[in-house]
Amino acid sequence: MQLFWLSVGFGLVTSSVLAISSVGLSLQFGITNYINFAYGDYMALGALVTYVVNNELLHWNIWIALVFGSLAIGVLAVVVNRLILGPFARRFTKTFYVLIVTFGLSLVMLNLEYAIWGADVRFYEMPIDRAMHVGPLLLTKYQLIVMGIAVALMLGVHAMLKTTRLGKSMRAMSDNTTLAMTSGIDTKRVTTVTWFLSGTLAGLAGTVLGISEGNLNPASGELFLFVIFAAVIVGGIGSIYGAMAGAVLIGLATEVSAAFINPAYKLDTAFVILILTLLIRPAGLFARPGKA
Amino acid sequence: MSNVWYYVFTLVFFLFDYFILAMGLNIQYGETGILNFAFIGFVAIGSYVTGALALPSSVGTGQHYIFGLGLPFPVNLLLGGVAASGFAVVVALITLRRLRTDYLAMVLISLSLVLYDVTNNFIPLFNGADGLYNVPEPFAGVLELTTNSFIPFFAAVTGAIALLLWLVMSRITRSPQGRTFRAIRDDDVVAAALGKDVFRTQLKSMLIGSFYAGIGGGLIIEFAGSFNPTAWLPGETFVVFAVIIVGGVGNNVGMLVGSLVVETLLIHLPAFLPSIPNHPGLIEYFDTVVVGVLLMAMLWFRPQGIVPERLRKASSLGGSDHALVARGSDAAAAARPAGVAAAGPKGER
Repeated sequence: MQLFWLSVGFGLVTSSVLAISSVGLSLQFGITNYINFAYGDYMALGALVTYVVNNELLHWNIWIALVFGSLAIGVLAVVVNRLILGPFARRFTKTFYVLIVTFGLSLVMLNLEYAIWGADVRFYEMPIDRAMHVGPLLLTKYQLIVMGIAVALMLGVHAMLKTTRLGKSMRAMSDNTTLAMTSGIDTKRVTTVTWFLSGTLAGLAGTVLGISEGNLNPASGELFLFVIFAAVIVGGIGSIYGAMAGAVLIGLATEVSAAFINPAYKLDTAFVILILTLLIRPAGLFARPGKA
Repeated sequence: MSNVWYYVFTLVFFLFDYFILAMGLNIQYGETGILNFAFIGFVAIGSYVTGALALPSSVGTGQHYIFGLGLPFPVNLLLGGVAASGFAVVVALITLRRLRTDYLAMVLISLSLVLYDVTNNFIPLFNGADGLYNVPEPFAGVLELTTNSFIPFFAAVTGAIALLLWLVMSRITRSPQGRTFRAIRDDDVVAAALGKDVFRTQLKSMLIGSFYAGIGGGLIIEFAGSFNPTAWLPGETFVVFAVIIVGGVGNNVGMLVGSLVVETLLIHLPAFLPSIPNHPGLIEYFDTVVVGVLLMAMLWFRPQGIVPERLRKASSLGGSDHALVARGSDAAAAARPAGVAAAGPKGER
């Protein structure tokens, strides 16, 4: 039973990382209507930029470095969209082309990261931390902060989508881009802001993944990407709230299953749930019409 | 035999082997429009099954694997291809019926990662992260080849197999079935309205393409004598995509050109460069970056590839305008303003 509660604690931390990353991916998918296969590499790059600021150049506190790393990836995402993805998406009507370009972008970024930082596993500069009891759970201070960040961000995204002008424009564009444009929404600006948000969330998720796992390297985003895909598809693609629910489900399932099966296969649990979802409810738990 | 010839024949082997792989992915993506991001997984299945069938019983070898039947060369290769096809059918049954393009691509890339993860960790299947090694050389007992004479010999065998598979593939793409494939690629709704069974056709395409993937993979393990998970990281699928896009999607001859440019010149030739001291792997990393950038540049400036797909004239409709309309794919549309699409010779391959 103790092992079970321990794994639930880990599960909630993984869910937090997944929630941040899945919402970032879903926001961008809802607006541009194609999947960014380089998302995992955005995450890894965010973690590595944070690492440079935290360990190598400035020795900033990890949480300040995290803000810096996240915003850097936000800017990068906007630039990449302006120079590469945007033009491709406008020129080719079939999604094939953009998908292959993001796939290529993923490989280019991964190998540049390897060329710069090498394949070594790295660690953040953080004070040693002791686990404490929170109800039946056993968590460290860092894990609690990661969970706090995730909850705050989810509430923030929810408030933004429901109350602000930007959030309403994003929801309108996600429903019907042409109609949004004719209603006077500046779709180009909304797209840019969305890419910025998506990139920032990716960078942040990559860093908190590094903090919660205790290590990072260029490939860590790559493998995590399919767990994000599982969360997004199980939740129902294009649905922000579905992505949040999917993240909690997949995060708990992977970690709790690790208490019962060989932990080497814990991420594969996500894939099993993904396949079951496809067989039973292919559009996801919170399906939105027209997106599947 | 000098080292130079050893290198040259290794390059020749990879030229033909990736020609086979590219034809397999081309029928799935180029002809039918299935974005198979798990392609390298099917290559790996072919490779492992071929190897495990050729190896003797695993008792006492220090390796752990299934099969271990010691089957002779062409038999194990064929069974490797069949295994890849069989797996493709299972995958297609679960995914193809339900998912639109990007969903499918997400599920397939996840599948590729999971196959990788499981093979890497589950040792009794194919020896885990160490992979299979000491796979017996084909024809070893019959021809008594030395290590040096084996490489040119097997490059020639691979060339012959590639030629045979090319003849078969050009028959398939020229047949009415081939036209159905392309109709579904260009517009699956129209194809369905004309009475074509989209799912069954896509299933056939997956089956044929995966057989080619399995054969190509099997040849790799026969050539190198070993195969392990580092050889099929999910990113390797992208190299095969680069081969077909650079060569020319939808054109079997283009596959050979793409294999020459991407696989032989960009991936394998730099591997023979001396490595930079203190930076292991740096050349490989930049190599892959170059392939990625080349692919994006190709898609932007020449989306039809080096050898474009030929426009097939439908004589009953008469005139090339109809053919262009009927074949209104993005590549043709993007190329038209540049005035190159109509320049290629028309008619059947």
